[in-house]
Amino acid sequence: MDTAFRKIDIDVYDEDVLQEEELFDADPRDPNQVLDDAKQRQGAVRSALARSDVVGALNIVLENAPYGPNVEEAKTVTLQTLLTILNTTKSTEIPAVIKELSQDGQDTLMKYLYKGMAMPGWGDISGSVLLGWHEKLTEVAGTGCIVRTMTDRRTV
Amino acid sequence: MAPEVFNLAQTPITCHAFSADHKQVAVSLNSNDAQIFTRQGAAWTSTETLSEHDKLITSIDWAPNSNRIVTASQDRNAYVWQQTPDPETGKLIWKPTLVLLRINRAATHVRWSPKEDKFAVASGARAIAICSFDPENNWWVSKLLKKPIRSTVLSVDWHPNNVLLAAGSADMKARVFSAYIKEVDDKPTATVWGSKLPFNTICGEYASPAGGWVHAVGFSPSGDVLAFASHDSSISIVYPGGPTIYNIRISSLPFVTLTWTAEDTIVAAGHDCQPVVFSGSESGWQGVGSLDDSTSAKAAGTRAGFGGNSSVGRLNSAAFSTFRDADTRGQSGAGGTTDTKLLTVHQNTITSVRPYQSSGGRVVKVSTSGVDGNLVIWDADNVSAVAGRMGGMRM
Repeated sequence: MDTAFRKIDIDVYDEDVLQEEELFDADPRDPNQVLDDAKQRQGAVRSALARSDVVGALNIVLENAPYGPNVEEAKTVTLQTLLTILNTTKSTEIPAVIKELSQDGQDTLMKYLYKGMAMPGWGDISGSVLLGWHEKLTEVAGTGCIVRTMTDRRTV
Repeated sequence: MAPEVFNLAQTPITCHAFSADHKQVAVSLNSNDAQIFTRQGAAWTSTETLSEHDKLITSIDWAPNSNRIVTASQDRNAYVWQQTPDPETGKLIWKPTLVLLRINRAATHVRWSPKEDKFAVASGARAIAICSFDPENNWWVSKLLKKPIRSTVLSVDWHPNNVLLAAGSADMKARVFSAYIKEVDDKPTATVWGSKLPFNTICGEYASPAGGWVHAVGFSPSGDVLAFASHDSSISIVYPGGPTIYNIRISSLPFVTLTWTAEDTIVAAGHDCQPVVFSGSESGWQGVGSLDDSTSAKAAGTRAGFGGNSSVGRLNSAAFSTFRDADTRGQSGAGGTTDTKLLTVHQNTITSVRPYQSSGGRVVKVSTSGVDGNLVIWDADNVSAVAGRMGGMRM
């Protein structure tokens, strides 16, 4: 039986189709401003890490994280900044750090962990570090946190 | 009191609706026939089959006063069933009346209005059909609520004033509409949702911060508060006057159904396989506990899954431990670890939670049906403390 018809994208023939951007509220900030913010945070995170304030560093990078279209560069910068924090934190400190984060912070962190795991070999991503954080974060925030990462269309 | 558990079938129960006297229950066993089970002592036996649909029945509602059943199906039809004497034998049989829904996608959910003179059918056609009876032609006619729905409507719930309707949709929004039908309704009085209410007035549109399909909606008994559960594992409570929305994120899998048991209490259930109780007021809401008491004997001797203090029902099973032991200790599945039963009463997703019995203005018992083929009647006040299995549940 011919099954090729199953792969036809019928949505292109629908004038009233639901667009991806309608599914979430757009970031009110200008893309350039988002990028500037992301770059400024790199410095703030570095100084927080120098004081070995991991929670502070994570809060800086996770708050108002860039999402949505047109901010790809800011997203990359933010991921890079976050990876520095994740890679330099001792695994024994992780549970305490995660407990200090707000619910929003935990949900955003989970988004970045999944983003990182989807890009193996990129930059200084280490699968074992990400999995270590993932395990500890799931213990604290539960599977609900993972469900929110998969559901939320405000992708980081 | 322990919950009453009845296994009706080995197939999923898509939805259930009790008759007013609780002696009968109409269920869809994941098929195109609605089955009516009658209670005989401690057991339920299938006594009648309502066959008319030719695709899966998605939702059933049984009007308590007029004793009419409405069924909605993926075949894009709804039928109203009424008991009428058979002209030859005089025996009471359920007779279907077709409803002109005018939708071109599956009907997903159906509910009678409080006065039972209208019902609302949610559908995949980005529309809600508000149906009322046309005595001249002896059929049910519909008027469609369309704007501004952008995707499949998954659930509906009526306001006690018989006019306002809440709807949850796959476009991530919960909405409150006016479903005022001139021929049926008296002019509604003003509520917190608005005063001028012609048909298809949008009285409110709400979303959860992380989005997600809105699986379930429900008005509080007074109708002044709206609750909805969405696929981002959260439940939101809306006070329109505020305007305040309380969003409670849970640490386990999403809810797909909810019901208010009092002005300050909600029971929600879903993929986590247990009914969870939330309580609060205009000043704040929180999770209280589960109706599923995990401290009973069956939970004893089972190791907690996933890191030691997790509360996740599905993962808290022996099957999980088997794999973990194989991973961490190199033990293979010998020695009684083949038990795959969950610690919860329901062994799979709960598809529907509904009020079962009221006393003094409060719902004292709720009923749930699940993908495991079980129908369970719970004591709504018997909430086991957060400390138990809910220990890890972050509210």
